[in-house]
Amino acid sequence: MNYRLDNRVALENDAPRVDIVEKVKGTAKFTTDYYLPNMMWAAFIRSDYGNAKVMSSNLAAAKAVKGVLEVVLDKIAGRYQGDRIGYICADSRQAMEQGLRALDLKFQARYPRARLEEERTPMADMKPADDEARAQQALDQSDVVVEAEFQTQVQTHCCLEPHGCLVDYRGDSALAYGSTQSNQGSRQDLARDLGLRPDQVDFRCEYVGGGFGSKFGAGNEGRLAAQLSKKFKRPCRVILTRKEEHLDTGNRPGSIQYMKIGLSHDGEIRGGRVTTWGSVGPTGGGQDTAGGGGGGGVRNPSRYDFGTIAKGHEDVCLNGGYPGPMRAPGHPQAMFAVELMIDHLAETIGMDPFEFRLRNETSDVRREMLKVGAELIGWKLNRKKAGEWPGTIKRGFGIGAGDWANRGSDATIQVNVYRNGLLEVVSGAQDMGQGYRTMIGDVVRTRLGLPRELLVVKVGRASYPPAPASGGSITSRSTAPKALVAAEMARDGLRKLVAAEWKLEDIDGVKLENGVFTADGGRSMEWAKACRLMSGDRFTCTNSQNGDFFKPSMQTHSEAVQFADVSVDTETGIVRVNKIVALQNVGLPVNRNTIENQMTGGVIQALSFCLFENRILNLMNGAMVNPNMDMYKIAGSMDVPEIVPIIWREDRNTAVNSLGEPPIVPTLGAIGTAVANAIGAQVRSTPIMPDKVLAALSEKGGVA
Amino acid sequence: MQPDQESKPGGVSRRQFLQGAGGAAAASSMLATLPQLALGKDAAEPAVRPGLKRISATGGNITLQINGQPAQVAITPDATLLRAVRESHGLTGAKEVCDRGACGACTMLVDGRSVNSCMMLAIDAVGKKITTVEGLVSDGQLDPVQRAFVQNDACQCGYCIPGFVVRSRALLNETPKPDRDQIKAGLCGNICRCAAYVRIFAAVEAAAKGGQA
Repeated sequence: MNYRLDNRVALENDAPRVDIVEKVKGTAKFTTDYYLPNMMWAAFIRSDYGNAKVMSSNLAAAKAVKGVLEVVLDKIAGRYQGDRIGYICADSRQAMEQGLRALDLKFQARYPRARLEEERTPMADMKPADDEARAQQALDQSDVVVEAEFQTQVQTHCCLEPHGCLVDYRGDSALAYGSTQSNQGSRQDLARDLGLRPDQVDFRCEYVGGGFGSKFGAGNEGRLAAQLSKKFKRPCRVILTRKEEHLDTGNRPGSIQYMKIGLSHDGEIRGGRVTTWGSVGPTGGGQDTAGGGGGGGVRNPSRYDFGTIAKGHEDVCLNGGYPGPMRAPGHPQAMFAVELMIDHLAETIGMDPFEFRLRNETSDVRREMLKVGAELIGWKLNRKKAGEWPGTIKRGFGIGAGDWANRGSDATIQVNVYRNGLLEVVSGAQDMGQGYRTMIGDVVRTRLGLPRELLVVKVGRASYPPAPASGGSITSRSTAPKALVAAEMARDGLRKLVAAEWKLEDIDGVKLENGVFTADGGRSMEWAKACRLMSGDRFTCTNSQNGDFFKPSMQTHSEAVQFADVSVDTETGIVRVNKIVALQNVGLPVNRNTIENQMTGGVIQALSFCLFENRILNLMNGAMVNPNMDMYKIAGSMDVPEIVPIIWREDRNTAVNSLGEPPIVPTLGAIGTAVANAIGAQVRSTPIMPDKVLAALSEKGGVA
Repeated sequence: MQPDQESKPGGVSRRQFLQGAGGAAAASSMLATLPQLALGKDAAEPAVRPGLKRISATGGNITLQINGQPAQVAITPDATLLRAVRESHGLTGAKEVCDRGACGACTMLVDGRSVNSCMMLAIDAVGKKITTVEGLVSDGQLDPVQRAFVQNDACQCGYCIPGFVVRSRALLNETPKPDRDQIKAGLCGNICRCAAYVRIFAAVEAAAKGGQA
């Protein structure tokens, strides 16, 4: 494992995350944990079916429930299950729930648009893509032409902390808590809804129970809580139920991906046609689902050099909840199809899929990762030709590639050094579990050579210095360079005080190492003592500049390659993942714990999407069959394989790259191609459930 | 097939059934104890079995033993233990996530055994020893499981972690030296959406090596 040892974290740091003690004690306060005095409970009234009209309701009975303050039905039809058609507000949770039951809504459900494969425009009727003629030429000039169609399902975010917001409007100010990936965006939303200036709204999200792309802005929950709090002059709480989470907080859209690709006998891909369809809500993509909308786009083709491609895409409207951004939107589903297609192409011309990838890889970094990963998984040693593993339980090996183009954003970091030596780092970004608190604190602390005991990190309030919304893997990327500069500003401020104390002309002669200031002549001063030289209670540095720690955007990609080792039981069709080797470029690594944790977590979440998760709509009425956590299967402890996370060679010029999306991109392709290698037939549809494995085997003519 | 269909009025969810059944069970057990003959005009308030308290539908107080302390908790008969502890008693470590026993985020110890507190009625917890994640800290010292979670970074967003910590404590009480497979099986009722499982397994292994609490 010399790759690990060679690439130890640049800021040599294995400390536990800074907020974990509060989390294991249960004292970390999430939005859902606030129950304010005199608080009202409110909830949306929702359509029960995908395409339904309200036939009757008992508004009077709902209003008559003791404690119910307001019931409003403002729509008479729902276009998807969970569509908001009104709301209820009550003194207590019990009254709110009783009121909803008393409302006794009856719907007439009509046939919904529920299946992507039925509602899409057929291939033949699709509008020709711009490059159609050139793509056709590439196909004509190819030695071999291969076509295939792939399908992926809808995945819901299912954040464990539900979407929600608490607003306490107090006339000329407001206090609000929200579960969000964008606390400053949320404050803007609420200020607008409450008719206040942003500075009058104290918005907090110090702990957020997962977002995965679904929690931008204050959302519909925030809007409702603000409206009711303002009206009744009382705090109002709107927290979704688990069922609502599945129905109306966005999802990863389903896809169908058709590919017709031509190549030469010696393995050069010439080009062809890629047509994709993505499922969106009843009126299209980008609608106002709680947490922001998204389209049904599929990032196919990508990563490999596919030559001249004519790409067509259609967003297909279904009577289901609107999609939203979800960890690397459009990418994991694309790479499932792309990797299987790459395998298919290689097999067609009789080339080893590994060699075929090396040949058509577009990134030098990934090409090297491929070689290292192959060694770690034992590609040459263990892998047999497709379907040739003996016995009924067959093992297979597969490859997945991915990356994420890094972008940065404006941000400001504040560093306060207190007279007692305390180091405080303040940022308005939010930590949804990615370890932002830890990363930003460790960047400053290690730059100054100070121990964790002196560190306090404050994030997650809108009043803190500006920071981007945490989406698209930009939080660390945008903030870390500014924090490094701020740390140096703080260091230089103290060097100045020390230089003056030592009667030195300038600060150049004063060094800070491991928390001790030194100068020629054997002079030295401890950090704590130097801090006491301050005249005020603290020393504040605020920085918005990147300094030397940032390459301009788009010059770096967080490349990723993963290898999967799976076992498939050819009698039951059950797939088990034995091992995943995950190689990941992170730029400048900061905290090994949080990096490896986010990498392995991304792999498991992608494994879960690949094998289990599925939003199933009732084809008769559009209602989701499994809007819960017992029937909506999410990978659990028994499904976790051995995962080997490899932090790729550090790149000090790149600064710190975020890890929200990149580790989740390659996994589906790796598992999908490993399953194909095991059974000798491709399962071209996720989730790879046992019935699909058995069907693929039977189509192939049984087990070899 | 008739394309148009109407929703069934008064469809009963599992949740409502549980809540309803709890109230009914409490009521019927109360009734069952009544000496029928004593039901006269002057028996408007029925006598009840000693230890069993009548809670009206609009709510009342019960005493729960939470983290070693008796606590007066205001509940309605249909309140789950989770809602009573979070919303009435103010201890919010245990989380409401699936609200039907499928994710383990609400796990508490009841008489030393781990239960999904969203699936237990508060009135059924009367007289039992309840330990929440907050109660694992004693004299300011973290439980060895909590310490191991900290040292192994066994967490991401942290919303599921109180449940994992309490379930891991129970697992180690049941099986003090579990192997990796026993840990996986022992935690299979808990879901971590961020999927910090690798670190959670390592933490439980470390806690097991560190010995019993």
